[in-house]
Order: sequence, then structure tokens, then C-alpha cells
Amino acid sequence: MTTAITRRRRPVASQLFLILLTLVFLSPVVWAIVSSFKPAADIIRDPLGFDPSLFNFDNFERMFGDVPLGSGFMNTAIVLVLKGSLTLFFAPLAGYAFAKYDFPFKNILFGTVLVTLMLPTIVLIIPLLLEMKEFGWVNTYQALVLPGSIDAFAIFWMRQVIAAVPDELLDAARVDGCGEFGIYWRVVVPVIRPGIAGLAVLTVMNIYNDFVWPVVVTTNDRMQTLQVVLSTLAQNITGNTIGADYATVTGELLAASSIALIPLLVIFILLQKHFINGILAGSIKG
Amino acid sequence: MTASSALGSRAVRRAPQRGPRWSLLRRRGAPYLFIAPFLAIFALFSVYPLIFTLRLSFTNWHGAGTAEWVGWGNYTYLLTNPGFWSSLGNSAVLWLLIVPVQVVIGLLAAVLLNSARIRMRGFYRTAFIVPFVTPLVAIAQIWVVVFDQNYGPVNDVLGFFGIPDIGWLTTSEWAKPTLALLFLWKTTGFAIIILLSGLQSIDSSLYEAASLDGATRTRQLVSITVPLVRRTLMFLVVLQTLAVFQMFAEPYVVTKGGPYSSTTTAGLFLYNHITRADLGTGAANSFLLVIIVLVLSLFFVRMLRTKD
Repeated sequence: MTTAITRRRRPVASQLFLILLTLVFLSPVVWAIVSSFKPAADIIRDPLGFDPSLFNFDNFERMFGDVPLGSGFMNTAIVLVLKGSLTLFFAPLAGYAFAKYDFPFKNILFGTVLVTLMLPTIVLIIPLLLEMKEFGWVNTYQALVLPGSIDAFAIFWMRQVIAAVPDELLDAARVDGCGEFGIYWRVVVPVIRPGIAGLAVLTVMNIYNDFVWPVVVTTNDRMQTLQVVLSTLAQNITGNTIGADYATVTGELLAASSIALIPLLVIFILLQKHFINGILAGSIKG
Repeated sequence: MTASSALGSRAVRRAPQRGPRWSLLRRRGAPYLFIAPFLAIFALFSVYPLIFTLRLSFTNWHGAGTAEWVGWGNYTYLLTNPGFWSSLGNSAVLWLLIVPVQVVIGLLAAVLLNSARIRMRGFYRTAFIVPFVTPLVAIAQIWVVVFDQNYGPVNDVLGFFGIPDIGWLTTSEWAKPTLALLFLWKTTGFAIIILLSGLQSIDSSLYEAASLDGATRTRQLVSITVPLVRRTLMFLVVLQTLAVFQMFAEPYVVTKGGPYSSTTTAGLFLYNHITRADLGTGAANSFLLVIIVLVLSLFFVRMLRTKD
């Protein structure tokens, strides 16, 4: 009798816990997007007020007039395509070499890859910046694209995924006269497609959200990526460099943040199955 | 004997293909070609800067002119600098506010999402990962507005319950928890998915056997689930320890390290050397941070390693 009651009651508590968690996770995003359409003064006067009849695009219009968000988007898109293709093409290929071939110094090399996984990104910032100055690459796309592409985490992840592909499959292809790259392209890639899809979502996310490196290597606002442009708006709010009042800047800030959120949310919702399954397939078990 | 037969067989096989030696050569050479692009990027933009930083850490250099060799000077300067220790202390407090909370909430949510008795699991999975996907800078800015002392919706809600306005970002006692909340909000969904992947590899017959023996669900969680997801937990704790001690963008955007340096994390303290062009000290700080993070990681790996 008592067990029957506790069994029936427990899922209710569990559902409540999950619903609460969902509210906490989603409310800041929803609040920011909704507020960005409100008149700027109302965001501050009544943060929780909701009156769709007052919704307008004033915050967005003012924001586009104040900061180069359009060119920020453009730069992010260019970096995304170039850096993303580099990583998605070459990281699984290198992961394949580490998983399925024996060659001298393989383990030492892979060990080095693992060690760089532990390094704070900021450690390399000074010498990388000096290197970029030496090359004359400050404020260029090369500087935004090349460092950090084909990264250690991607190699590590792809090695894990490819190690699970049975060797018999590769040997069978070899017997059929398939070349080494042919084996990778026609046998390995189709099998690990979920893992690559997961890597794709994570890579897009990392590049889109990258902040520290772009903020250091771009000083010219025509080269700045979306996230860097966004962060300058925050400085407006504390330093108030555009001479506007607090409400106006807040409205612009929320408008810019909402615009920055939306592309990634759309990509994620479309590809979320691949992403979650990719993590589930690629991470360490048990 | 064997040599001659091998030669013989090669002579026979040479006609159809280009011969086993060629194929062996291709097989031996292939991995080098496959890792070459990665290796080029790795050497140029990871290994070289790393060696450069190591050398830099023993010099006094401000980005121009010749570097002056100071031996261990930068290291002793940092180790006797109260600012360095308080930045580590701030990161340690943030770690305490973040990692245990995330492990408990993450494990609970992952167990529920792994249970067939819960409805709408797909929806929750998607909802939980949304913060992880959102750009940090955008979210950090939203945080500034949401937790504003005078105009933010959080104080608005609390005011409804009669709680007076709290200076979330303007007082040194609340700034750290507010920053911890941002980090938890952003990464707990990812932690849940990682833990879920560990749970899914547990053999469900273990739970059936335990139920038959009359073990309660709480008991099963403690005696079966936690020990079996130990490796996943370890992976998560190490990952988050790295992330918390390197935390930089969050305080950089939200608090600029204040008030009164209460949110100057180890990562932000390191960055401040760079903005002052004190590059030698910055490099030394980097290596001290790496050593601390490595020691902490090894400690957690040992602590959580399965006994067998």
C-alpha cells in the first residue's frame, strides 16, 4: 500500500524538478528576446510587464545605427565557413590516422595533443599575438581562421569515435583494392557520420561564440566578429560612450543579444538530435 | 627459403596490381599525409607559441626592445604577490559554488532523463542544452541587465515577495554567487548530457536485480548508479575544474573583476598582465596556472578512480 503511493507520487516530484529546471534555463533567453521588442523605457520601468500592443523595432533600429553589427555578422560568417571546413575536413582525417595506423612517435604525438587540451587558451595568447604581428596578420581573416582550427579536442574526439569502427571493415575494403584515402572516404566517413555531425554542431558553436582570440587579434572594428561587436555594447553601458541614457543602451543591448542568439538557436533546434547523439556517442563511457 | 618463396609470390602478384611493396608503402605513408595538415597548424600555432611562452616567462619584457633575462624572478614575484593568491582564492570559491552544485543537479536530472517513467524526455533534453548553445557574450550581457540592482527583473520578482533589492553585481559578497550562477546556468545542461551518456552504458539488469532484492530507488542511486558513473563524473569534474580556473570571459564582461577585485579570477588576473603589456609576468602566471590545474586534475582523477 505505502509503496504503491510512493511510486505514484515520486514522478510528480520529479516532473516538478524538471519543469523548474526548464524554467530556470529558458527564462533569461525568453525574457531577453521579449524585452528587446519593448519600448526601451518600459524595460527598466517594468521589467516583467508584457503588452504586445507596444512591441516595436526601435531598439533594433537604434542598435544598428550605433554599432557595426552587420559587418560583425559578415565577419563571423566568413570565419565560420573557412575555419569550420578546415576543422571538419582535417580533424576526422587525423583522428583516423591516430586510431587506425601505427607509425613512429604516434603515442608521443598523441600525448602532446592531450597535454595541449589542458592548457588555458590565454597561455598561448601572448606569443600567438606576437607571431601574428611578425606575419603582419593582425586584423586579417588568416589570423581569425588558422590558429585554433583543427583543434586538439576535435582530434581527440574523432579518434575516440573512429577507434570504435571495426578493423574488419577496413581490411575488407583494402582487399577490394580500395586506396588508403578511399577507405577513409568511402568506408569510415559514412560509418561515423553521427560523430561528425556532433562535431559539426560543436565546432560551429565554438567558432560562433569565440571571443577571447578575436578580441585580441582585431583592433579595427571592420574586422571584428559578432561577439566582439556585442562586447563593445556592454562597455557602452558601463562607460556610456555613445552618450545615451541607461534605458536606451539596455534596449540596444538586448536587441543585439537577441539577434546574436537566434541563428545559433535555430541551427541547434534543427540539428539537436545529431548534436546530443554525437556527444552521447563520443564521450567517455561508464 | 622463406625469402625466396616471398620473392616468388611477389613476382606472380606483380602483374594485376602494382605489387605489395607499393601497397605497403602507400599504407605506411598514408598516416603521415593524413596528419600533415593538423601537424602544420599544431606546430605553428600551439607548439611554437608554447615554447616561446616558456622562454618569455624567465624574462622581463614589455613587448618592445630586448628582453632582460630575470631567471625565476617572475615566478617569485607572483608567488609573493597577494593579488595572485587572491585571484586563486576567488577561483577556488567559484569552484566550490559551482562544481558540487552542478554534480548534484546534473546527476539528479540525468537519472530522471534516463528513466522511462518520465514523460517528454526529448523536450527536457533540448530545453536543458539551450543555454550551452547561446553565445556567452550575449548571455553575460543579459546577466548584467537581469541582475541590475535597480532595474533588473530578478529584484523585481524578489520585491514581489517583500525581499529588499540585492546588489547582485555591486557588492563583493553577492558578485561571486551571481557569476557562479551564470556559469552553472550556461554549462549544467551540457553536464547533464555527459552524465546521461555515462548512465546509458549501465546494464539495466543490475537495477532489476536490486529491485528484486528490495533496494529502494535512493539506495539504487547511491549503490549502483554513482559507483558506475564514476569515470564519467571524473571526466566532468576535471573538465569543469579546468574551465573554472581558466574562467575569463564571464567576469571580463559582467563585472570587470570587481567590486574590490572580488571576481578577479585566476584567468582574469592573468589577462590583466597582458593588458599592462607585462608579458614576462603573464607568461610565468600562465605556467603557474597550468601547474595548479594539472595538480588539481590529477587529484580528482586519483580520488574518483575506481578501486579495481
